[in-house]
Amino acid sequence: MTPPPATAVADLMRPKSIPRDSQINTDVMSVTKGVSWQWGLLLALALLGVGQAIFTLGYQTYKGLGIAGYQAPVFWGVYIINFVFWIGIGHAGTLISAILFLFRAKWRNAINRGAEAMTVFAVLTAALFPLIHIGRLWKFYFLIPYPNQRALWVNFKSPLLWDVFAINTYMLISIIFFFVGLIPDIAIARDRATGIKKFVYTVLALGWQGTGRQWKAHNRTVLHLAGLATPLVLSVHSVVSWDFAMSIVPGWHATIFAPYFVAGAIFGGFAMVLVVMIPVRRIFKLEAYITDYHFENMSRFILFTSLICGYAYGAEYFIAWYSGVEFEQTSFWLRAFGPYWLSTWIMISCNVIFPQLLWIKRLRTSVPFLFVLCVLINIGMWFERYVIIITSLSREYVPAAWGLYIPSIAELSILAGSFCWFSMFFLLFLKFLPIIAIAEMKELIIHEKAHAAHASGVEAH
Amino acid sequence: MPTLVSVFDLPDDAATAIRKLRGRGFEDIESYSPAPFEQIDEAMDPRPSKVRAFTLVGGLTGVFTGFLMQIWMSLEWPIKIAGKAYTSIPPYVIIGFELTILFGGILTLIGLLLVGRLYPRPLDAAYSPRFSAEEFGVVVKVGERDVAEVDGLLRSLSAKEVSLLDD
Amino acid sequence: MLDLHRRDFLRLVGVGAGTAATAACSDPIEKLVPYVIQPETITPGIATFYASTCRECPVGCGLHVRTREGRPVKLEGNPDHPINQGKLCARGQAGIGRTYHPDRFDGPLAKGADGNHAHVSWDDAQAMLVEKLRASASRTWVLGGDRGPSVNGIIDAFVAGVGAAGRVVYQPFAHDALRAAAGLVFGRTVLPLFDVSHADLVIDFGSDFLDVSSGSGVFSIEASRQFADAQDVKKHPDGGARLVSIGPRLSMTGSNADEWVPAAAGSEAAIALALAKAVYQMKKAHGQPLDGDAAAVETALAKVDVAKAAAAAGVDVATLEKLVKRVQHAKAAVALPPGVGASGPEATSAAAAVLVLNAVLGSVGSAVVLPEAETAPAPANGRALADLVAAMQAGRVDVLLVHDANPVYSMPGGLGFAEALSKVGFVVTFASMRDETSARAHLVLPDLTPLESWGDAAPRAGVRSLQQPTIRPLQDGRALGDVLLAVAAAAGAPGLPAGNTHDVVKANWGGENWRQALDRGGVFGATPSSGARVGSGAAQIAAGPAQLDGEGDYTLVAYAHSFLGDGSGAALPWMQEIPDPVTKASWLSWAEISKATAARLGVGFGDVVRVETSVGAVELPAYPRGGVRDDVVAIAIGQGHVQGLYASMENDGALGVARGVNVLSVLPATTDSSGARTFTNARARVSATGAFNRIPISQWTDNQRGRGLVPEVTLASLASPAHGGGEASHFEAGEGEGGHHEDGPPFQYDMANDSHPDQPYRWGMTIDNDRCTGCSACVAACYVENNVPIVGQDGALRHREMSWIRIERYVGEGDREGGNERRPHPDREEYGKVGVRQAPMLCQHCGAAPCEAVCPVIATYHTEEGINGMVYNRCVGTRYCANNCTYKVRRFNYFDYSRENWPGLLGMMLNPDVTVRGQGVMEKCTFCIQRIEGARQQAKDEKRPIADGEVKTACQQSCPTSAISFGNAKDPNSEVRKRSTDTGRSYHSLQVLNTRPAITYLAQVAREPDDAGAATGAGRSHS
Repeated sequence: MTPPPATAVADLMRPKSIPRDSQINTDVMSVTKGVSWQWGLLLALALLGVGQAIFTLGYQTYKGLGIAGYQAPVFWGVYIINFVFWIGIGHAGTLISAILFLFRAKWRNAINRGAEAMTVFAVLTAALFPLIHIGRLWKFYFLIPYPNQRALWVNFKSPLLWDVFAINTYMLISIIFFFVGLIPDIAIARDRATGIKKFVYTVLALGWQGTGRQWKAHNRTVLHLAGLATPLVLSVHSVVSWDFAMSIVPGWHATIFAPYFVAGAIFGGFAMVLVVMIPVRRIFKLEAYITDYHFENMSRFILFTSLICGYAYGAEYFIAWYSGVEFEQTSFWLRAFGPYWLSTWIMISCNVIFPQLLWIKRLRTSVPFLFVLCVLINIGMWFERYVIIITSLSREYVPAAWGLYIPSIAELSILAGSFCWFSMFFLLFLKFLPIIAIAEMKELIIHEKAHAAHASGVEAH
Repeated sequence: MPTLVSVFDLPDDAATAIRKLRGRGFEDIESYSPAPFEQIDEAMDPRPSKVRAFTLVGGLTGVFTGFLMQIWMSLEWPIKIAGKAYTSIPPYVIIGFELTILFGGILTLIGLLLVGRLYPRPLDAAYSPRFSAEEFGVVVKVGERDVAEVDGLLRSLSAKEVSLLDD
Repeated sequence: MLDLHRRDFLRLVGVGAGTAATAACSDPIEKLVPYVIQPETITPGIATFYASTCRECPVGCGLHVRTREGRPVKLEGNPDHPINQGKLCARGQAGIGRTYHPDRFDGPLAKGADGNHAHVSWDDAQAMLVEKLRASASRTWVLGGDRGPSVNGIIDAFVAGVGAAGRVVYQPFAHDALRAAAGLVFGRTVLPLFDVSHADLVIDFGSDFLDVSSGSGVFSIEASRQFADAQDVKKHPDGGARLVSIGPRLSMTGSNADEWVPAAAGSEAAIALALAKAVYQMKKAHGQPLDGDAAAVETALAKVDVAKAAAAAGVDVATLEKLVKRVQHAKAAVALPPGVGASGPEATSAAAAVLVLNAVLGSVGSAVVLPEAETAPAPANGRALADLVAAMQAGRVDVLLVHDANPVYSMPGGLGFAEALSKVGFVVTFASMRDETSARAHLVLPDLTPLESWGDAAPRAGVRSLQQPTIRPLQDGRALGDVLLAVAAAAGAPGLPAGNTHDVVKANWGGENWRQALDRGGVFGATPSSGARVGSGAAQIAAGPAQLDGEGDYTLVAYAHSFLGDGSGAALPWMQEIPDPVTKASWLSWAEISKATAARLGVGFGDVVRVETSVGAVELPAYPRGGVRDDVVAIAIGQGHVQGLYASMENDGALGVARGVNVLSVLPATTDSSGARTFTNARARVSATGAFNRIPISQWTDNQRGRGLVPEVTLASLASPAHGGGEASHFEAGEGEGGHHEDGPPFQYDMANDSHPDQPYRWGMTIDNDRCTGCSACVAACYVENNVPIVGQDGALRHREMSWIRIERYVGEGDREGGNERRPHPDREEYGKVGVRQAPMLCQHCGAAPCEAVCPVIATYHTEEGINGMVYNRCVGTRYCANNCTYKVRRFNYFDYSRENWPGLLGMMLNPDVTVRGQGVMEKCTFCIQRIEGARQQAKDEKRPIADGEVKTACQQSCPTSAISFGNAKDPNSEVRKRSTDTGRSYHSLQVLNTRPAITYLAQVAREPDDAGAATGAGRSHS
């Protein structure tokens, strides 16, 4: 998909009228103004959900992981599934803000702020799960190579340790990227806020004034961060996939895992962006900035990545059969027709079959359809991890030691808690920070203005 | 020394104004813009930003820290694990890479803050919220006797308004 | 961790010291004794061993009690003892729990007016008993088991002294039929001794002779040893002894057989006589006359022929004719008499027929001998019990003293003992732990446990074994002997020995024996025995089909549970937790029915069925299997207790609710011609109830899907050494493992690898599947040695058992069918076939361990001596290692077991050398590293390397057949190395994965491949 010329884009997204004090400023900042009772209710619900999850976690820490559904031979369950799921969600944001930035796909500007925010919050959610998952939460710091007299270091050959580094790096870099992008917009907020809010914004804006050298440094920083984040985002989910691929478990030990997981992550992430942005656009009337054009581009991406997932699923089965290894063949046969057949078919239909409807332009551009489809896709992606982890572990090498795992109430409560935790952050974000990258949008708008003024027209970059 | 604040609607006009002023030998110029525009940045200072040096240093630090840390830690107390060598480079590439990114990113941020002078401080007297709306500002310090001339020049370069900031 | 206060502990330590210092005299120092002066026999941290005797079953194996700071922590076999020779069965291993058991009485109890037990002082309690005795001594009976010569002497003296009506020696499994049969056939009512070590054919008539912990037969742990030796393929290239198992269900013994003849219950006599007839005629033709009353034998044999026998047994004639051929061609065949499960209404005839068969085979005098005399008082037979109950019923018993028995539980329901008991004015029990009988008692005088008291045993003539205390009584109990002596004295009874039990025992042993007995554990001589001639009694053997009590389509086979035995094992949590060797079920009862029966009833695994006899009915989950006849419903004896923390459902929060069902309670009191008690004596109606009760089965399936996890080699492949070295696993497993190399010999990994080059040791293990009988003694030993927690019924249902070693039981090669079930389903057995393959599975201590690579914190790593180490304190519990372990031998601490798993004083039996693992960490087999370190210390002190055989792992030490050997694989002369390399049977589990295990298995030998593969030919169901 080659991005259309900036002018065309600007054309698509031109607000009906551009008054003296920027329409976009007022439009976007209006989102943060005032607190509706619906918003309050949602936040209250989110906090409630987080609260009950924290209670469950406390009880689990005291009593032991036995309250979760673990039973030999399935020692990884919903917690790891959630971890992979949320990390995956995060990837879309980075992809939009970094990779599309490098491709100069200007259409990303309208959605990248929301996507970046989603990334940060998703990673903040995901990063909790390794801790919730381990048997001795209070010893989590053993995973960090901290200096100690007994020369006890960590095992740098373990994929789990790669995770520790990858996740933390990813979390920090996404936060930095998010913040850097925000600085000019915080300055805008600062200039229009009063009282305590003004003070906070003033501190956060770090004295941004949009001087030449600031913009120059800012551009360069964003460029470099994008350059760093691009390989990072690809590496992070590859590392996550190696938690599985590096093991010897039939159904996990596959070379296709890295690309397969990355594609899946982007797939699920884009779906999540839409699930979040569609209601936001509707509620805060941002149709002028987040247009159907964006949604269509997004849905094309989703269609594309869905095809990659479909290919990966197919390849897994083909290799399992072609290898002639009975362990693999049994594992995959039982994946599709064993006790977990339902999860498998949910995964396949939600991730591969339904998205094919996006070939149809009318559906691709129908917002309600997209919303429903994206919810389904997220369910499908959750089940993809469920299938990969649970079915493989429950049917390994020694048939005598086979087993069956069923999630327990405790695990479901924490699963629910994780969604509340994510929503909590997003709700707060809506009220305190601009949901659309104003400066970047403004760039397009002013270009358009210049275009209108000069017959010659000014080409963007 | 008097300061002239001129307001423009279009980035190109602002850029032309800056270039003209430089041509006249005025060095103390500052520009304010609501969005990044290369022509303005170019006019202000054609050299690339120094931020890139920070990134390079950070990245290099990261990759070396990563590999040295892992090799040293594995060798300080060599423990046999799964019949593998005490140190093996391939698995270390991953953490080496992650640290490259991490350090690079952090240093880049620091670079932005230093180069862009981004730390809490009072705003310039010439700055006004309209520059975070949609207008461009070009501010130049001129000698008493040049005020009228520069004012005229700026207006000729389609500045919407030019005001004298007396301090 | 356990509610034992510092002071108590110090006291016990001190007392332990005192006990030890004075060769454990019965009256230990009661004061707190700090180690101001170090007792010479105790060094803190160093174990002290005392020789003693196991009292879990009447066999009386020799023990070495391992004590630490005055606490017994482990029971090990006494190598000097002729019967167990250093081995100990699962039941014996678990026996240590009795001393620390939470069910123990903490003092005498008397039933008050309100019918509840209340504490009383010993003086008052004894006074009460004395008073009762004064009142009605002549109407007093003593009922209880055999306590060995010394205490028996005291009891008999007591009975005589106080003028009691008499003593009934009561053992639920009394072997009275066999004893009577010996009388019938040989004219001497003694239990014959069997020795299969030189046999080339063993015919098992439901003898359960390999089921060492069940106490079902007259056999002990030595039978397993003898059989394994008789089968040793090194000594016998032809594969050695064959085992034919005859009986309605594929028992634990049958699982090790070469052929299973699924004969109907009660047809043992007919088959035995038919075989005898064939051999008799053959020998007669060859002019080899029978040594004995040929006429009598001929009258007996006249009653049957193969056809009749086949009809009675419900098997086709061809099967029996094949068997006849076997017997006729065998050079040294031995027939083993029926055990509990096979004791039908004609039990005596069956046993007698088997003895006659032996006589005809000429094994009497060699493999079957009759000891000169019985050393223990013969237990009362069924008729004597009936008489006692009748007397109680008639109110002719005023005082009943019960010791070492739980008659309320173990008497047949048809006898009505429980009802009769209420007619008895005053019931006294000497039980040390809660049970159904003491719950009914008016007075409870808690006895001491064998580890706390003096005693002795005389397993057989020439063998006397001493039982000495190794710890001061933990509860306020008193030794049975002491109480009886005191009471008798108080009652002014004449003729009792002076002093206390200790003095009596010491006196009985005599001076010069005493010292030797204390350190060697007894006097071990040869058993004077003689052959015997068949007498005229043989003529009376009845061959007719047994008449079962009641009606119904099914024969109710009540067999002895492998671990619970007659029910006395049910209180020991390990015996409940360790899966049954055949069904792999634990913690409750199940009804074994054939798949056809299940189909007819429309029930599956766990669907509750109602089993109704003329006496009553029980409801329990069904266990459909191929290894049982269609006309049979088989239920294990031993469960169904309503008393006890583990024996009943108390531990699962249901007080006084039975765990499983007590099948004895629905058995009629039928006795056979000789008055022997019978067990498989009832017909039953079986019906589905619609209820469901999931059975905890530790093993998901017994289908190894052609993966060659437990391969078999044929004698042919052994015969050609060219195909040695892993050919077994190659040939058996290659296909299924999918990765076998067509060209060149299969991958063979050298165990000596994978330890640090500078290290002299690489600890390795060799396990001979061909010797493994599946008895699970190793599992029990591991539980006790390594402080492995038990997880209870709920845990077992969730596959959360913590055992570090398990016995995997597969049937045949398996195929690729199934796998999509949602519940465990071991269902590969086929009617009339064996094909069972068993192998212990434990941590393989891989050189390239998948678990090590993935641990992020190096909590598991490879030690320099090649052990896969596990550092509990470093573990954070990511459980990645467990996922990546290809053998699934890693266990996770789901809860803080150290907090609740060893209630009461049980915590005191924890092995101080082994960490008790905390919540949230992984654990697994460590190759008993604490024992390695112990040996290392010793060797270091003596400035020498650790000698071969110096380190014995708990599993290896207990294995009755010495299937496990452990040692330094780097030492070319070590036993483990030799065994791992010198046969064509060696293989590594899942060696296609190249994990380089430190454990080498020796493949099981298919002596008769025809019967070996129940389900061969890997079906390509999906590829």
